[in-house]
Amino acid sequence: MSAVIETSGLGKQYRRTWALRDCTLTVPAGHVVGLVGPNGAGKTTLLRLATGMLAPTRGTITVLGQRPAAGPAQLARVGFVAQDTAVYARMTVADHLRLGAWLNPGWDDDLARQRIGQLALDPKQRAGSLSGGQRAQLALTMAMAKRPELLILDEPVASLDPLARREFLRGLMEAVAEQRLSVLLSSHLVADLERVCDYLIVLVASQVRVAGEVSDLLASHHRLTGPRRRPGTLPAGQEVITESHTDKQSSLLVRTDGPVLDPAWAVTPVSLEDLVLAYMSRASDDTPARRQHLGVAS
Amino acid sequence: MIRLSMLQFRIQAITAAAALAAFAVLLAATGPHLASTYAADGLDGCHASSSCANLANYFTGSLIRTPYAVLWLLSLGIILLMPAVIGLFWGAPLIARELETGTAAMAWNQSVTRTRWLAVKLSAGVLAAMAVTEALCLMQAWWAAPISQAVADGGSAGGLAQSRFSQLNFATHGVTPLGYAVFAFALGVTAGALIRRTVPAMAVTLAIFAALQVAMPLWVRPNLAAADHVAIPVSSQENLSPAQTGPGGGTFTLYAINLPGQPGAWLLSSGPVNAAGQPVSATPAACASIANTGGVNTGTSQATQGGSGAPATGPAGFIACLGSHGIREAITYQPASRYWRFQWTETAIYLALALALAGYCFLRLSRLS
Repeated sequence: MSAVIETSGLGKQYRRTWALRDCTLTVPAGHVVGLVGPNGAGKTTLLRLATGMLAPTRGTITVLGQRPAAGPAQLARVGFVAQDTAVYARMTVADHLRLGAWLNPGWDDDLARQRIGQLALDPKQRAGSLSGGQRAQLALTMAMAKRPELLILDEPVASLDPLARREFLRGLMEAVAEQRLSVLLSSHLVADLERVCDYLIVLVASQVRVAGEVSDLLASHHRLTGPRRRPGTLPAGQEVITESHTDKQSSLLVRTDGPVLDPAWAVTPVSLEDLVLAYMSRASDDTPARRQHLGVAS
Repeated sequence: MIRLSMLQFRIQAITAAAALAAFAVLLAATGPHLASTYAADGLDGCHASSSCANLANYFTGSLIRTPYAVLWLLSLGIILLMPAVIGLFWGAPLIARELETGTAAMAWNQSVTRTRWLAVKLSAGVLAAMAVTEALCLMQAWWAAPISQAVADGGSAGGLAQSRFSQLNFATHGVTPLGYAVFAFALGVTAGALIRRTVPAMAVTLAIFAALQVAMPLWVRPNLAAADHVAIPVSSQENLSPAQTGPGGGTFTLYAINLPGQPGAWLLSSGPVNAAGQPVSATPAACASIANTGGVNTGTSQATQGGSGAPATGPAGFIACLGSHGIREAITYQPASRYWRFQWTETAIYLALALALAGYCFLRLSRLS
């Protein structure tokens, strides 16, 4: 498995607070990777470090084998759509496409025009008067028409209404299918990611809680319900992610590669959302003193 | 990248072009009449003749209550303000607005490094700032040519007839406006990069630039070259301005208006000294009585009295009395010949500051987002 992004001990400090601390992760190539985590997990900081918008305080990050934003060639290989999908309000849609053509040697003008046509955007319209969904689509078009190998999107749909959200993600999926590019997409809404991602990274307080292909994750996690019992009695190879107990009943979310054989359990599959929530709410291995530094909004 | 900066710069460029055009129309509409007034006053062909100074004096004096005086002040005021306007409206938003609106994420994720992005933007801005400023200066110089010529011919009447070293003239002529414009632009860009918000960056730019424009002529410019010192005899009222102060005229002041033999020199300070070269302020007893009878303190003009033969009273008599008591006028000055040295030195200082700020911006930009 080749990686598009590799970080090691990556940290970013703002004055006295750490937006990201000691983050080590690998983003595999050829996937649409969802980066999910609670607000303040360091998602935005991580993505900004990956695009070179920020420089790390500690640790290393390589993107497509190079330092982020190392030069024009490296910049050309990575497309980025930022959180607020900002566009130049005073420039027209056509101006944006011209700007892209001027600044990117690999610019695919046919693709850009085709997408603008599909979206029914008026090229003469000023970008400032576009709706939020249209602005996001324009920003996505800009990022895709430069023909990157890796497309990074930071909560691109967070501020969109459900319809615009669906259309944006559909546009993204079509492009991914045509262009064979790797995508890293962050969100704190699992529902958005479920639709488009085939690989998931759950990031909590700068640490990867779980990472893997969505199908593998769903296949290896189960909800077990049965008479109340202590979790320590589970067979080896079954890792409890979360547990909840009433007087009579226990409900566990476990990870296991093998089948669950104990007939006392009722085994049900878990949804991706449950799985992510389980990992996000799972108690951290970190010491409390260290956790104090984390959880700062990026 | 050059095309991008032109695309982004077009609104500022159109505004600047419109302002320049309005300025040009205003000057073109009034310039010919000013020139014809100059010719009508008989100044056109009299260079270096002795009557020139009188004619020039009449010309500059006659302008003082006309719209030309207002236009003259206005045109210089615009040249003086232009660098600040450039710093505020071109410099401050350059980086700050990209950060503020979030478009930095778009600008810096095209296949162009941030260093190149800034280099092109700074170059374009500096060239435009210099072009606009120089255009203003050239237009003003064309329009004000009759006034400048009259002053060069010895015209000294009225507020328009100022030395080239006066703050108003020095800061609006020669190469200094270019230095100010480039510096103000770089200052605006830097403030924007540091503060990351356009409007506060504009305020800071204005405050710093204005403070420098005050500090420079007051404290820095006079020291850009070692001043010359001279002590001249106290004899003529043409270049000295006496005043009595204190109870009963017991003390006095004596300022030099100009330096004989050094036309256009920049007088930094002047004051009376005794034969030993020590500064004096106590009026010699004999002179106090002369002055008291003449009523120096009334300040009335008695310019003709000095030549009337009889032991004079009033300012002329007072000056003559001071001179006879061994008092000389010590003057610290910069000769007129150093004008261009001052111009280039000050411009170089501003350009060096601008360069340092630009260098800082490049460093800063690599750590911004």
